[in-house]
Amino acid sequence: MKTLREMLAEARRVVPEQGPAELKAQLDRGEALVLIDVRDPDEYRDGYIDPAVNISRGFLEFRVASAAADPNVPIVLYCQTGLRSVLAAKALKELGFTNVTNLAGGYQRWVQSGLPIAKDSPLNTDQIQRYSRHFLLGPIGEKGQRKLLGSKVLLIGAGGLGSPTAYYLAAAGVGTLGIMDGDRVDITNLQRQILHKTSDIGRPKVESATETIRALNPDVTVVPYPVRLTVDNVEEILKDYDLVIDGSDNFETRYLVNDACYLQGKTNVHGSIFQFEGMATVFAPDRGPCYRCLYPTPPPPGLVPS
Amino acid sequence: MIGLVQATEAIKLLVGFGEPLIGRLLTYDAIGMNFREVKLRRDPNCPLCGQNPRIKDLSIHMEGAGGQVCAVGDDGQGAPAASSAPAAKPGG
Ligand SMILES: [Zn+2]
Repeated sequence: MKTLREMLAEARRVVPEQGPAELKAQLDRGEALVLIDVRDPDEYRDGYIDPAVNISRGFLEFRVASAAADPNVPIVLYCQTGLRSVLAAKALKELGFTNVTNLAGGYQRWVQSGLPIAKDSPLNTDQIQRYSRHFLLGPIGEKGQRKLLGSKVLLIGAGGLGSPTAYYLAAAGVGTLGIMDGDRVDITNLQRQILHKTSDIGRPKVESATETIRALNPDVTVVPYPVRLTVDNVEEILKDYDLVIDGSDNFETRYLVNDACYLQGKTNVHGSIFQFEGMATVFAPDRGPCYRCLYPTPPPPGLVPS
Repeated sequence: MIGLVQATEAIKLLVGFGEPLIGRLLTYDAIGMNFREVKLRRDPNCPLCGQNPRIKDLSIHMEGAGGQVCAVGDDGQGAPAASSAPAAKPGG
């Protein structure tokens, strides 16, 4: 049986090492490399070397492909002191990754060298549990969850489209959800507008929507706008948001959302439904068409029910 | 259904992964339970995002724009025939 010392020596023979200063210079030059922190998530949470992704040693072989699709891309691994990561690097070499190096002395020596670290704002224990299933999804992970928690989405309309959208965004932990709707809850809404309850009849829709969402996920800050979107308020409201979701029910609003989003460079996730049909697309300024590319002019009144 | 597609697209865009529904129109018909995808192209003559845009601010939405709140130009482009048939050209 091999001793740990022998295993480490063996790994060091096949894995090149580099020091913190060398890695820092590479990162500063913007060299294409994949930096992987192989420590456990709680160690990563306490501070990491930006822009490292966290894939714990135990999951490395299973998840490395999500960080490094190309087996020839330069990969740098680090752990706390450089021991776990040298063994991990050897395992990656055996998997066929050709260009793997180990950060000598690990995170500890990096910190002792006075180099900068990054630290994400802590998630509380409830959040870690609530979003744990997101953490297991490679493309989202803890980093993606933080992005969601820091995101601001404006939802136009709290009706048939906006109801399920708001539910899912709130459950997923989108940190700020602006909800705009000038209408009040009517009994005829309840068969499809699932944000509202029977006891909400007569209340502003944004009020019952806010209540429903807060009950679902206290992490979400709801900003209610109990008004209709108009040319007078659109620019001021839009500018605070990262993304706009159009769940409106009329052409006038759709053109207004489209134009304002395009002019402010905001992406507009568009959807509409009519009876049993629906459609969805994303209008991203200058990356694809806009709503006016689809509908240069609005249909004449009466032809198309909105 | 469509609301869920919108939520999913929003999450993808915010986190930054996957293929967003840009330049693609997803249509859904609940009766036949059919999904279709239509490729969309930018219209070079689009009054907003085309090569010579005429809409540079939101003034056409101002009151007194003569009931033409959304309509612009006089280039003779007609309204689409039906709500679910976008005027943009399918790109194959
Ligand atoms: Zn356009």
